[in-house]
Amino acid sequence: MSPSHLRLHKASLSFGGIHALKEVGFDVAEGEILAIIGPNGAGKTSLLNAINGFYRLDSGEIIFQDQEISSIPAHKVPTLGIARTFQNPALYSGLTTLDNLMAARHIHMHTGMLGSMIYWGFGHKEDIQHRHAVEEIIDFLEIEAIRKAVVGALPYGLRKRVELGRALAMEPTLMLLDEPMTGMNVEEKEDMARFILDVHELKGTTIMLIEHDMGLVMDIADRVVVLDFGEKIAEGPPSDIRNNPQVIKAYLGEAH
Amino acid sequence: MIKPTETLAQHWLEKVHSYSGTSKVALRQKDFGIWQSITWDESYLQVRDFSLGLVSMGLKRGDRVAIIGDNDREYLWAAFGVMAAGGAVVGLFTDVTPPEAAYVVEHCDATFVVAGDQEQCDKLLDVKDELPLVKKVIYWDNRGMWGYDDPWLMDFRDVQGQWDSSLGDPDERFEAMIEAGTGSDPAMFCYTSGTTGLPKGAVISHSNFVYAVQAFGEIDPLRDTDDHVSFLPLAWIAGAALDISPHVVNGVILNFAESPETVRENIREIAPDQLLYNSRLWETLVATIRARILDSNWLNRALYDLFLPVGYRAAEFEFQHKEVPLGWRALRWIGNRAVFKPLLSQFGLHKARDAYTTGAALSPDVIRFFRALGLPLRQIYGSTEVTGGALLHRREDVKFASVGEPIPESHCAISEDGEILLSGPGLFQGYHKDSDQTNAALYIDSQNTSWLRTGDAGHIDEDGHLIYLDRLKDMIELSSGEKYSPQFIEGRLKFSPYISHALTIGDTRRNYVAAIITVDFENVGRWAEKQGVPYTTFTDLSQKPEVYELIRQDVEEVNRTLPESGRVRKFVLLHKEFDADEGEMTRTRKLRRRFLFERYSEVIDSLYSGETELQISDVVKYQDGREGKIDSTLRIESLENGAA
Repeated sequence: MSPSHLRLHKASLSFGGIHALKEVGFDVAEGEILAIIGPNGAGKTSLLNAINGFYRLDSGEIIFQDQEISSIPAHKVPTLGIARTFQNPALYSGLTTLDNLMAARHIHMHTGMLGSMIYWGFGHKEDIQHRHAVEEIIDFLEIEAIRKAVVGALPYGLRKRVELGRALAMEPTLMLLDEPMTGMNVEEKEDMARFILDVHELKGTTIMLIEHDMGLVMDIADRVVVLDFGEKIAEGPPSDIRNNPQVIKAYLGEAH
Repeated sequence: MIKPTETLAQHWLEKVHSYSGTSKVALRQKDFGIWQSITWDESYLQVRDFSLGLVSMGLKRGDRVAIIGDNDREYLWAAFGVMAAGGAVVGLFTDVTPPEAAYVVEHCDATFVVAGDQEQCDKLLDVKDELPLVKKVIYWDNRGMWGYDDPWLMDFRDVQGQWDSSLGDPDERFEAMIEAGTGSDPAMFCYTSGTTGLPKGAVISHSNFVYAVQAFGEIDPLRDTDDHVSFLPLAWIAGAALDISPHVVNGVILNFAESPETVRENIREIAPDQLLYNSRLWETLVATIRARILDSNWLNRALYDLFLPVGYRAAEFEFQHKEVPLGWRALRWIGNRAVFKPLLSQFGLHKARDAYTTGAALSPDVIRFFRALGLPLRQIYGSTEVTGGALLHRREDVKFASVGEPIPESHCAISEDGEILLSGPGLFQGYHKDSDQTNAALYIDSQNTSWLRTGDAGHIDEDGHLIYLDRLKDMIELSSGEKYSPQFIEGRLKFSPYISHALTIGDTRRNYVAAIITVDFENVGRWAEKQGVPYTTFTDLSQKPEVYELIRQDVEEVNRTLPESGRVRKFVLLHKEFDADEGEMTRTRKLRRRFLFERYSEVIDSLYSGETELQISDVVKYQDGREGKIDSTLRIESLENGAA
């Protein structure tokens, strides 16, 4: 197995009396696609929120590239190389696709406030360099036609694609995708799956995704982690998970 | 003088040599949001390397290479590379299914296939077993191709790296191949999706292409500073004739859109000097322009409302071949600067010297509208088998009903059956591997001239304009043996704002054409109010003598475009509108002819008797189940000889 890119060790999180995560532990290997599945309220989104610093763990560790990150504030996490998308696209809806992607490049920009105000010179040069990176993403995701469209006016499927673009613009080594394909039609899902696989293949990005469409998860994920009521109940390649009795029970309910 | 002797590749090489060492732009492609310019020298190297690469991999003179992909610089380079090596290009439309692709590739015996991207490669992989002759499938867009390890697939750039440098100077070898070509060599196979049976591969020679572009150029000269946006499918004859030929023969700059979805926007950015849209697109554009104006600010709206009538007036003078008086010219000049040019620029149309339309007839309203805005639309008529357009409206001689006059050295005639025949240097070389179909498509006259049977019915008017009526098989025969086109007459009548529907009658039992017409209540009502004609109901309005006179003018207008035997001799204005609820029309507002013939048999009979009036009574069902009767009198209007 490739070296561990991200490791969760006995991660626990609770809100009052509700245990969102109970001593969850697993490894995400470098360059793999790991899917997290589980019924509603199983703690999937809480897990992502804990990784990118929205939530503080009550106990346990999150180790990203040999660094303990569970106490790093959310706004610093992207600079480590972790980007994420949200269940409901969290974009600047009044800005264009291009501006949204340029904004995501912010973490890679070095021009200070003064330099930006003068603009000509270093700021200008840097702007072109980042625009080029953004244009490559636009080309990659085939969103040329909506480059200058205001994001808020776009259909849902395209907004999801722009959000993936925004995550890509941060040039992460780990991408957390929270239900990237919900609310999409079959064709949009196919496109999105293709983009995820292409990102993975071309840039070697490690991908952790939450997804409900089981067929899709089984097709694209290398490994699957199953959560139920905040606990990890199974972990393994898709073929094992499919036949795991505990998973079937959690998903289909028990016959009484 | 037109000399269609050289190949497209030779013309191209001539242009390369004349622009070599300059920064003259040959192509542009929008990439990463920026229009990237490519000079003739750069283009030359790309074509040379691809061509030599293909030859080193076994392409021989006379071989076919199929290309399937979106319009792109690589598409063009691949096509030129094949033609330079003496091969013929077979274009496939990007939306073909794998079996369709297999049929064409197999039928033309292609030895290589150039497939744009992953999607197209997948189609060919699906049918790989059926294509033993294909040595390689070459792709130029490598996105998503990383995971493929089939040795059948090859990257465009790898092909370019294939040629053997030990065989001598690459420029010399490449140019010697081009020089060896002759005008009669096939340049392209255009597979036409025949309405019946399998597609047929029309073989178009280099001379055909060169002739066509030079003949068009005599009417509408092209310059090497002109910009074209390549968006028509290059597999379609019009795409090849309007993009590839002008580029190689006239040095026109070709611009390739960023993606198929951005074509509209890219046209706006480039503002091409010439362009062809089909008639449907022009029609939707009218609606879009009007909507844009409504959304605009009050100043723009006021200027538009002020100057549009000026545009219409000036256009009317031109349509009547009169000189536009100085005052109107001056006003139009202001209108152009103030509204029309800025408005057209929103759609990339402000620089268009030549704007063409093909396909179904465009309504005079649409032509007038664009002419008023300063964009003279002109019809092209032709077919794949005559290398695209064979007839064209001249700029100063646009007739609404016609599809134009023959281009220089081309001819148009009407056969005894009323079929449109075309001949000239653009006539194709026959269908590939199908002499039966070729013979069936050609007519050899007593002077041994070959003519293409178009399968279309038409006639030539006194000014030498061709009027297209319908497909020959859809023409209906009268008892006199003459034929007429219900589609054409009904369609043209409906162009009138006062007519909502028309039904033509006439078959082998009757010897002339008659029509049942329903008036457009709203428009005719408004007209009547303006004229001070009082009316109460639809029935009342429809039977007013003034309304009959109004419609009569429209019918005469249409009759003027028809051969005498096919003119409308009598018509009646129906006392009611055709109604979908009564089963007279489909929900998509198409007439249900057979039902109507039966229902209105009484009316129809009176159209073929000497009567001038007809009493009819309609049974009406009320909602409570009772039945009532409405009596009305319909006037039958006769037009002597259908004459004007």
